Amino acid sequence: MTYAFLIELRLYYRNRMALIYGYLFPLIFLVAFLVLYRHEPVPLVNHMGELLTVTALGGACFGLPTSMVGERERGVWRRYRATPVSTLHLVLTTVAARYLVLLSAALLQLVPAMVIGMPFPDHVAGLWVAFTFVSFAFLGLGLVIAMLADTVPAVQALGQSIFLPMLIIGGVAVRIESLPEWAQHLSAFFPGRYAVEAIQVTVNGSGLGEAGFSLLALLLIGAAGCLASAKMFRWDTRERGGTPRGKVWAGAALAAWVLVGVLAEGTGRALPQGRLPADGVASLTDVLRSSGAETNDSSDVYGAQADSVTVAEDVADSVGVGAEPEDSAPEASVPPIAAETADAVSEEVVEAPPPPPPIDYPDSWEEVTMEDIDRDIRFDALPYDQGLEAPVAALDEPVYPDIEETIRCIVYDLEVWPPAWTGDPVQRARNVLFVAAVPDMYQMSGIERWVPHAVFEHLANAHPEDELIKVLYWIAANPYEGEVSAASRLTDMCLRLGGPDDTVMLQQRTGWYAAKLLGRITGHIEVR
Amino acid sequence: MSAQVHVHDLWKAYGSVQAACGVTFDVAPGEIFGLLGPNGAGKTTTVECMLGLRQPDRGVVQIGGIDARQDPRDMQQHIGATLQTNALQEKITPREALRLFGSFYRVAEEAGVLLQRFALEDQADAAFHTLSGGQRRRLALALAFVNRPAVVLLDEPTTGLDPSSRRDLHRRILDMKAEGRTVLLTTHYMEEAETLCDRVAIMNRGRLVAQGAPRDLMGSLGTAPSVHLETSAPLPPETFAGIEGVRDPEQTGCTVRFRSEDVHGALSELTKRLETAGVGIVELHVRRATLEEVLIELTQEEDDAPGGSHGGPLA
Repeated sequence: MTYAFLIELRLYYRNRMALIYGYLFPLIFLVAFLVLYRHEPVPLVNHMGELLTVTALGGACFGLPTSMVGERERGVWRRYRATPVSTLHLVLTTVAARYLVLLSAALLQLVPAMVIGMPFPDHVAGLWVAFTFVSFAFLGLGLVIAMLADTVPAVQALGQSIFLPMLIIGGVAVRIESLPEWAQHLSAFFPGRYAVEAIQVTVNGSGLGEAGFSLLALLLIGAAGCLASAKMFRWDTRERGGTPRGKVWAGAALAAWVLVGVLAEGTGRALPQGRLPADGVASLTDVLRSSGAETNDSSDVYGAQADSVTVAEDVADSVGVGAEPEDSAPEASVPPIAAETADAVSEEVVEAPPPPPPIDYPDSWEEVTMEDIDRDIRFDALPYDQGLEAPVAALDEPVYPDIEETIRCIVYDLEVWPPAWTGDPVQRARNVLFVAAVPDMYQMSGIERWVPHAVFEHLANAHPEDELIKVLYWIAANPYEGEVSAASRLTDMCLRLGGPDDTVMLQQRTGWYAAKLLGRITGHIEVR
Repeated sequence: MSAQVHVHDLWKAYGSVQAACGVTFDVAPGEIFGLLGPNGAGKTTTVECMLGLRQPDRGVVQIGGIDARQDPRDMQQHIGATLQTNALQEKITPREALRLFGSFYRVAEEAGVLLQRFALEDQADAAFHTLSGGQRRRLALALAFVNRPAVVLLDEPTTGLDPSSRRDLHRRILDMKAEGRTVLLTTHYMEEAETLCDRVAIMNRGRLVAQGAPRDLMGSLGTAPSVHLETSAPLPPETFAGIEGVRDPEQTGCTVRFRSEDVHGALSELTKRLETAGVGIVELHVRRATLEEVLIELTQEEDDAPGGSHGGPLA
């Protein structure tokens, strides 16, 4: 046993391609995430689930079956067959060696991430357990691929057709919350999202207790894969994998995916349940926390029906729902859509909250007071300035000359842009904020983070400070009011942008930028 | 002497193709036994059934008295083998391969001993993919010895080797016999079977069509000595009419080939007729039938009468 295991490991480390796939690619992913987050190491902690899942998935979907099928194609396994060694022994040593390789590859991601500033994982033992379950599920999958594929190219094809969908619509590389609803439902049928969930809760969540279903799903999927591959096992490429019996067993392995998906749908887990992405992309958890349903940071919100997670809550939780736990459902100043959502969620989770004391919400923007701002706007739940949504460049960040030129051009254009000078003060400010919101929606990575500065500068010059504070509160608290036609008139400016399709998103981003400027003026947001 | 290898009424079909039909033979301890036959005759199927690589449909395989179908793992402890493909992992070294395979058996030979014996010491720590064809074959042979087997099965051990490597391998196979091991090999090369094998069996279409010592097979009645004659002028075809003992004459120009059970009688009659015709003899060879001719004759005979149950002359 031990010598076969040792040889398996030695041969792995002698294979340059395997090393590139197994160790270099995960590191490249790490760097890619780092670059994506503009060299801010902290948000990495929110993506360890994805990063480690991709590592395990790659090693198990490609690494394991490639070496197994390669050896079988060469006739090595046939030669083994002529010795008294048992199948179980060979497969176990192979899988055990692979598991060790996956563990070391995971460490090779965790350690550099921590060296550059990622916080230490919250639950190290839990992380190990979660990663072991993830490895088990994916290695089981890898074994099925190895039994199905006749040749190494067939492994690549089969592996890609599982790997890529899992990455894109399976909740691995693209966050589930960002997927369309149909894809969110579909992702419940892929093991990838359970892997991400199980790992993530141990890195910066409340630990494995939160991941019971995910662990069960991984266990089921892994066990089905192992059973199916044992039944499909073949020593020789000449025994084709495509036999009817083989297909039945491959189907059994897939049936476990379906079973897990059905269980998830049946228990209302298919749609994301508000794992808090702590880089500030606010989610349902925040709503619940602020509405008094849970006061614990690590609240388990798995009971909540989450199908109302839309962009609306993201605004609702940063705005209007109130900082005190009692303020569960403000009426006047919260946009109807957000209020409904908060209500819907509250109804399911909150057990008859005590009647909130009456709050005197302002009836118009002129009546806004600092008290309203302190009470209603949750500046800490806004997206990070360095994040992907509503970003704002830091003041000490070096700016490229061409971007600087464009920003100057925008400042100048705003002086003469009619929508910046028509209508009431609130609508004027909304129009100006659109100028920042639209490039953000288009993800214009070079410039989107600088435009807010031009917008902020313009607003500070165009409104008296007292008026601007009230106006910005009003926009942040009521993002879905007002008129949006000005957003289609950016073609007049040096940005030359067409109008956005998604009005709700436009208003949401506008609300965020209003709150961000408001926080800067009132001192709620510390400007670096 | 009880048989070291006992195969009785072995049947194996792949779909509608019968690869082995009632194959029966015994190999005595210390004997080198050759399985001969054209491609697709069923040699490899027979070997694979003996190794436990395939499950026969029915029949008995016993190695050293152990039933291969009932205790395949136990049987495999006592048998060493080289398969037709002798590829290993690209990056494994001969020393590692020998230790790895050794770890699969209850009794294992020291890797160093085998490396020395099969002249692989210089390549002991070189990656498999850097080895030459001959070195790979020697490694495959060394692997067959890793469990100090009583019986060694070699499936086409010399195919694709250059003549000197082949001669080297022949020497090693004869060494095995000298050590008292039982060797069963399959081969395409008849001169190899003639040199190495104590006994051979000829297979065709899944059946054993003949078995015996090579010398006996070559001298068997179906395969009379052949006569090759070259004359100074073309002979009229009727020259051969009525000569006792001349079979299947083939004449092209001045060259004549025929077989004869009574070479002496046939040649004296023929020389008389040549004298009468005034034709001189330029060249004359008389050759005993080779194993190859025996094989071709037996397997073609089989092909001419498909489906017929042919026991072969000495079966």
